Amino acid sequence: MTQDDLDRILSNEPQILASSGFVDAVMDSVRRQATVPPPIPFPWKRALPGISAVAFTLAVLVIFLIRGSANQSLPPNLVPTLTSLLETWKTFSATWVVLALLLSFASLKLSMRLAGGKT
Amino acid sequence: MSAAEDQAAVEKVLAGDTSAFEGLVRRWQGPLVNLAYRFCRERSRAEEMAQEVFLRAYRSLAGWRRESAFSTWLFALATNLYCSELRRIPLRTVALDDLAEPPDPRPPDGGLEDQSRDRAVRRAVYALPPKYREVLLLFYFHEMDVPSAARSLGLPEGTVKARLSRGRELLRSKLANAHMGRLVRKEIL
Repeated sequence: MTQDDLDRILSNEPQILASSGFVDAVMDSVRRQATVPPPIPFPWKRALPGISAVAFTLAVLVIFLIRGSANQSLPPNLVPTLTSLLETWKTFSATWVVLALLLSFASLKLSMRLAGGKT
Repeated sequence: MSAAEDQAAVEKVLAGDTSAFEGLVRRWQGPLVNLAYRFCRERSRAEEMAQEVFLRAYRSLAGWRRESAFSTWLFALATNLYCSELRRIPLRTVALDDLAEPPDPRPPDGGLEDQSRDRAVRRAVYALPPKYREVLLLFYFHEMDVPSAARSLGLPEGTVKARLSRGRELLRSKLANAHMGRLVRKEIL
Protein backbone atom coordinates (compact mmCIF):
# COMPACT_ATOMS: atom_id res chain seq x y z
CA MET A 1 0.00 0.00 0.00
CA THR A 2 1.45 3.35 -1.02
CA GLN A 3 1.55 6.57 0.98
CA ASP A 4 -1.05 8.06 -1.37
CA ASP A 5 -3.40 5.16 -0.65
CA LEU A 6 -3.02 5.72 3.08
CA ASP A 7 -3.56 9.46 2.71
CA ARG A 8 -6.65 8.92 0.60
CA ILE A 9 -8.20 6.39 2.99
CA LEU A 10 -7.50 8.34 6.15
CA SER A 11 -8.59 11.65 4.63
CA ASN A 12 -11.94 10.21 3.53
CA GLU A 13 -13.36 9.53 6.96
CA PRO A 14 -17.16 9.51 6.82
CA GLN A 15 -18.70 12.51 8.58
CA ILE A 16 -21.29 12.14 11.33
CA LEU A 17 -23.89 14.70 12.38
CA ALA A 18 -24.51 15.63 15.99
CA SER A 19 -27.93 14.46 17.16
CA SER A 20 -30.76 16.99 17.06
CA GLY A 21 -30.84 17.52 20.82
CA PHE A 22 -27.10 18.08 21.13
CA VAL A 23 -27.16 21.88 21.23
CA ASP A 24 -29.98 21.89 23.79
CA ALA A 25 -28.14 19.38 25.97
CA VAL A 26 -24.98 21.49 25.88
CA MET A 27 -26.84 24.71 26.61
CA ASP A 28 -28.69 23.08 29.53
CA SER A 29 -25.32 22.09 31.03
CA VAL A 30 -23.95 25.57 30.38
CA ARG A 31 -26.93 27.26 32.04
CA ARG A 32 -26.61 24.96 35.04
CA GLN A 33 -22.94 25.84 35.18
CA ALA A 34 -23.75 29.55 34.97
CA THR A 35 -25.94 29.36 38.08
CA VAL A 36 -23.20 27.72 40.17
CA PRO A 37 -21.36 30.38 42.21
CA PRO A 38 -17.65 30.69 41.43
CA PRO A 39 -15.30 28.78 43.75
CA ILE A 40 -14.01 30.71 46.76
CA PRO A 41 -10.32 31.40 46.28
CA PHE A 42 -7.92 30.34 49.04
CA PRO A 43 -7.13 33.37 51.25
CA TRP A 44 -3.38 33.40 50.58
CA LYS A 45 -2.92 36.93 51.91
CA ARG A 46 -4.40 36.04 55.29
CA ALA A 47 -2.69 32.68 55.52
CA LEU A 48 0.76 33.89 54.46
CA PRO A 49 1.90 35.35 57.85
CA GLY A 50 0.89 32.14 59.62
CA ILE A 51 2.55 29.93 57.03
CA SER A 52 5.73 32.04 57.19
CA ALA A 53 5.81 31.88 61.00
CA VAL A 54 5.37 28.11 60.99
CA ALA A 55 8.05 27.68 58.32
CA PHE A 56 10.45 29.89 60.28
CA THR A 57 9.82 28.01 63.52
CA LEU A 58 10.30 24.68 61.81
CA ALA A 59 13.53 25.86 60.24
CA VAL A 60 14.84 27.04 63.65
CA LEU A 61 13.89 23.73 65.27
CA VAL A 62 15.56 21.72 62.50
CA ILE A 63 18.75 23.75 62.91
CA PHE A 64 18.72 23.17 66.70
CA LEU A 65 18.08 19.48 66.27
CA ILE A 66 20.94 19.13 63.80
CA ARG A 67 23.26 20.98 66.11
CA GLY A 68 22.11 18.91 69.08
CA SER A 69 22.66 15.64 67.23
CA ALA A 70 26.16 16.76 66.35
CA ASN A 71 26.83 17.05 70.12
CA GLN A 72 27.61 20.68 69.86
CA SER A 73 26.86 22.73 72.91
CA LEU A 74 24.31 25.42 72.31
CA PRO A 75 25.21 29.01 73.07
CA PRO A 76 23.90 29.79 76.58
CA ASN A 77 21.63 32.63 75.43
CA LEU A 78 19.86 30.34 72.93
CA VAL A 79 18.72 27.80 75.53
CA PRO A 80 16.01 30.04 77.05
CA THR A 81 14.93 31.10 73.55
CA LEU A 82 14.57 27.48 72.51
CA THR A 83 12.69 26.65 75.74
CA SER A 84 10.27 29.52 75.23
CA LEU A 85 9.76 28.52 71.59
CA LEU A 86 8.93 24.99 72.64
CA GLU A 87 6.56 26.32 75.31
CA THR A 88 4.80 28.51 72.75
CA TRP A 89 4.64 25.56 70.40
CA LYS A 90 2.96 23.46 73.10
CA THR A 91 0.63 26.25 74.27
CA PHE A 92 -0.82 26.83 70.82
CA SER A 93 -0.82 23.14 69.83
CA ALA A 94 1.28 24.15 66.86
CA THR A 95 1.66 20.57 65.66
CA TRP A 96 -2.05 20.43 64.99
CA VAL A 97 -2.00 23.84 63.35
CA VAL A 98 0.78 22.72 61.01
CA LEU A 99 -0.99 19.44 60.27
CA ALA A 100 -4.26 21.28 59.58
CA LEU A 101 -2.52 23.72 57.27
CA LEU A 102 -0.82 20.92 55.36
CA LEU A 103 -4.10 19.04 55.09
CA SER A 104 -5.93 22.16 53.87
CA PHE A 105 -3.26 22.79 51.27
CA ALA A 106 -3.38 19.19 50.04
CA SER A 107 -7.19 19.17 49.81
CA LEU A 108 -7.18 22.53 48.02
CA LYS A 109 -4.69 21.28 45.43
CA LEU A 110 -6.68 18.07 44.96
CA SER A 111 -10.01 19.85 44.52
CA MET A 112 -8.47 22.34 42.05
CA ARG A 113 -7.04 19.47 40.08
CA LEU A 114 -10.34 17.57 40.06
CA ALA A 115 -12.39 20.63 39.15
CA GLY A 116 -10.16 22.07 36.47
CA GLY A 117 -8.37 19.10 34.97
CA LYS A 118 -5.49 20.33 32.85
CA THR A 119 -7.20 23.51 31.77
CA MET B 1 -19.93 32.75 11.53
CA SER B 2 -16.42 34.15 11.11
CA ALA B 3 -13.56 34.44 13.57
CA ALA B 4 -14.68 37.99 14.35
CA GLU B 5 -18.18 36.75 15.09
CA ASP B 6 -16.72 34.05 17.34
CA GLN B 7 -14.88 36.75 19.24
CA ALA B 8 -18.00 38.92 19.50
CA ALA B 9 -19.95 35.94 20.87
CA VAL B 10 -17.22 35.27 23.42
CA GLU B 11 -17.28 38.91 24.56
CA LYS B 12 -21.05 38.69 25.04
CA VAL B 13 -20.74 35.51 27.08
CA LEU B 14 -18.03 37.07 29.22
CA ALA B 15 -20.29 40.07 29.76
CA GLY B 16 -22.92 37.72 31.20
CA ASP B 17 -25.04 36.79 28.17
CA THR B 18 -24.99 32.99 28.48
CA SER B 19 -27.30 32.50 25.49
CA ALA B 20 -24.63 33.92 23.16
CA PHE B 21 -22.71 30.70 23.75
CA GLU B 22 -25.34 28.84 21.71
CA GLY B 23 -24.01 30.37 18.49
CA LEU B 24 -20.56 28.99 19.25
CA VAL B 25 -22.00 25.55 20.01
CA ARG B 26 -23.98 25.55 16.75
CA ARG B 27 -20.94 26.52 14.74
CA TRP B 28 -18.45 24.11 16.27
CA GLN B 29 -20.62 21.11 17.18
CA GLY B 30 -19.95 19.36 13.85
CA PRO B 31 -16.13 19.57 13.91
CA LEU B 32 -15.90 18.74 17.62
CA VAL B 33 -18.24 15.73 17.44
CA ASN B 34 -16.45 14.44 14.33
CA LEU B 35 -13.04 14.86 15.89
CA ALA B 36 -14.26 13.02 19.01
CA TYR B 37 -15.68 10.29 16.80
CA ARG B 38 -12.30 9.78 15.17
CA PHE B 39 -10.84 9.23 18.60
CA CYS B 40 -13.45 6.90 20.08
CA ARG B 41 -15.50 5.47 17.13
CA GLU B 42 -18.69 5.62 19.20
CA ARG B 43 -21.31 8.20 18.38
CA SER B 44 -22.79 8.55 21.88
CA ARG B 45 -19.39 8.74 23.53
CA ALA B 46 -18.26 11.26 20.90
CA GLU B 47 -21.21 13.51 21.77
CA GLU B 48 -20.51 13.20 25.49
CA MET B 49 -16.86 14.12 24.94
CA ALA B 50 -17.78 17.09 22.72
CA GLN B 51 -20.31 18.27 25.31
CA GLU B 52 -17.62 18.16 27.99
CA VAL B 53 -15.36 20.26 25.73
CA PHE B 54 -18.03 22.93 25.34
CA LEU B 55 -18.59 22.96 29.08
CA ARG B 56 -14.89 23.34 29.78
CA ALA B 57 -14.65 26.02 27.12
CA TYR B 58 -17.47 27.91 28.81
CA ARG B 59 -15.82 27.61 32.22
CA SER B 60 -12.42 28.76 31.00
CA LEU B 61 -13.52 31.25 28.35
CA ALA B 62 -11.82 34.08 30.20
CA GLY B 63 -8.54 32.18 29.79
CA TRP B 64 -8.63 32.44 25.97
CA ARG B 65 -5.88 34.83 24.97
CA ARG B 66 -6.73 36.57 21.74
CA GLU B 67 -3.30 35.82 20.22
CA SER B 68 -4.79 32.83 18.37
CA ALA B 69 -8.20 32.23 16.82
CA PHE B 70 -11.00 30.99 19.04
CA SER B 71 -11.14 27.79 16.97
CA THR B 72 -7.43 27.10 17.59
CA TRP B 73 -7.97 27.44 21.32
CA LEU B 74 -11.12 25.30 21.18
CA PHE B 75 -9.42 22.52 19.18
CA ALA B 76 -6.46 22.50 21.56
CA LEU B 77 -8.87 22.15 24.47
CA ALA B 78 -10.76 19.38 22.67
CA THR B 79 -7.61 17.50 21.67
CA ASN B 80 -6.29 17.65 25.23
CA LEU B 81 -9.54 16.25 26.59
CA TYR B 82 -9.97 13.59 23.88
CA CYS B 83 -6.41 12.32 24.27
CA SER B 84 -6.64 12.09 28.05
CA GLU B 85 -10.13 10.59 27.86
CA LEU B 86 -8.96 7.89 25.47
CA ARG B 87 -5.94 7.12 27.60
CA ARG B 88 -8.21 6.93 30.67
CA ILE B 89 -10.85 4.70 29.05
CA PRO B 90 -9.36 3.05 25.94
CA LEU B 91 -11.36 1.97 22.92
CA ARG B 92 -13.52 -1.06 23.46
CA THR B 93 -11.59 -4.17 22.49
CA VAL B 94 -14.18 -5.43 19.99
CA ALA B 95 -13.09 -5.46 16.36
CA LEU B 96 -13.77 -2.20 14.61
CA ASP B 97 -15.70 -4.11 11.96
CA ASP B 98 -18.31 -4.77 14.62
CA LEU B 99 -18.78 -1.13 15.52
CA ALA B 100 -21.50 0.86 13.84
CA GLU B 101 -19.91 2.93 11.08
CA PRO B 102 -21.58 5.91 9.45
CA PRO B 103 -22.95 5.15 5.97
CA ASP B 104 -20.22 4.93 3.34
CA PRO B 105 -20.85 7.36 0.48
CA ARG B 106 -19.41 4.95 -2.13
CA PRO B 107 -21.75 2.76 -4.22
CA PRO B 108 -22.32 -0.67 -2.66
CA ASP B 109 -21.37 -2.62 -5.81
CA GLY B 110 -17.70 -3.30 -6.26
CA GLY B 111 -16.73 -1.35 -3.15
CA LEU B 112 -16.70 -4.23 -0.67
CA GLU B 113 -13.01 -4.91 -0.99
CA ASP B 114 -12.26 -1.19 -0.67
CA GLN B 115 -14.40 -0.92 2.43
CA SER B 116 -12.72 -3.91 4.00
CA ARG B 117 -9.29 -2.46 3.24
CA ASP B 118 -10.28 0.95 4.61
CA ARG B 119 -11.48 -0.65 7.84
CA ALA B 120 -8.22 -2.58 8.12
CA VAL B 121 -6.26 0.67 7.75
CA ARG B 122 -8.35 2.40 10.43
CA ARG B 123 -7.99 -0.57 12.74
CA ALA B 124 -4.24 -0.40 12.27
CA VAL B 125 -4.27 3.30 13.22
CA TYR B 126 -5.98 2.47 16.53
CA ALA B 127 -3.39 -0.22 17.23
CA LEU B 128 -0.58 2.37 17.10
CA PRO B 129 0.98 3.75 20.30
CA PRO B 130 -1.05 6.81 21.47
CA LYS B 131 1.55 9.44 20.55
CA TYR B 132 1.58 8.33 16.90
CA ARG B 133 -2.14 7.63 16.74
CA GLU B 134 -3.01 11.10 18.06
CA VAL B 135 -0.76 12.84 15.56
CA LEU B 136 -2.17 10.81 12.65
CA LEU B 137 -5.79 11.46 13.70
CA LEU B 138 -5.20 15.20 14.05
CA PHE B 139 -3.18 15.47 10.84
CA TYR B 140 -5.93 13.91 8.72
CA PHE B 141 -8.68 15.73 10.62
CA HIS B 142 -7.01 19.03 9.76
CA GLU B 143 -6.83 18.00 6.08
CA MET B 144 -3.13 17.12 6.21
CA ASP B 145 -2.10 20.49 7.63
CA VAL B 146 0.89 20.01 9.94
CA PRO B 147 0.78 23.49 11.59
CA SER B 148 -2.91 23.07 12.52
CA ALA B 149 -2.28 19.59 13.93
CA ALA B 150 0.70 20.92 15.88
CA ARG B 151 -1.36 23.79 17.34
CA SER B 152 -4.15 21.42 18.38
CA LEU B 153 -1.69 19.09 20.05
CA GLY B 154 0.38 21.87 21.58
CA LEU B 155 3.54 20.39 20.08
CA PRO B 156 6.29 21.87 17.91
CA GLU B 157 5.81 21.27 14.18
CA GLY B 158 9.08 19.35 14.00
CA THR B 159 7.86 16.88 16.62
CA VAL B 160 4.58 16.42 14.76
CA LYS B 161 6.43 15.79 11.48
CA ALA B 162 8.73 13.26 13.13
CA ARG B 163 5.84 11.42 14.81
CA LEU B 164 3.86 11.52 11.60
CA SER B 165 6.67 9.95 9.65
CA ARG B 166 7.26 7.26 12.28
CA GLY B 167 3.52 6.65 12.65
CA ARG B 168 3.08 6.13 8.92
CA GLU B 169 6.06 3.81 8.86
CA LEU B 170 4.58 1.73 11.70
CA LEU B 171 1.21 1.74 9.99
CA ARG B 172 2.63 0.46 6.70
CA SER B 173 4.58 -2.23 8.52
CA LYS B 174 1.49 -3.35 10.48
CA LEU B 175 -0.55 -3.51 7.28
CA ALA B 176 2.18 -5.41 5.44
CA ASN B 177 2.38 -7.94 8.31
CA ALA B 178 -1.39 -8.36 8.28
CA HIS B 179 -1.32 -8.88 4.51
CA MET B 180 1.44 -11.49 4.80
CA GLY B 181 -0.52 -13.24 7.53
CA ARG B 182 -3.56 -13.49 5.28
CA LEU B 183 -1.49 -14.91 2.41
CA VAL B 184 0.06 -17.55 4.68
CA ARG B 185 -3.37 -18.52 6.03
CA LYS B 186 -4.71 -18.85 2.47
CA GLU B 187 -1.76 -21.07 1.50
CA ILE B 188 -2.25 -23.35 4.52
CA LEU B 189 -5.95 -23.75 3.69
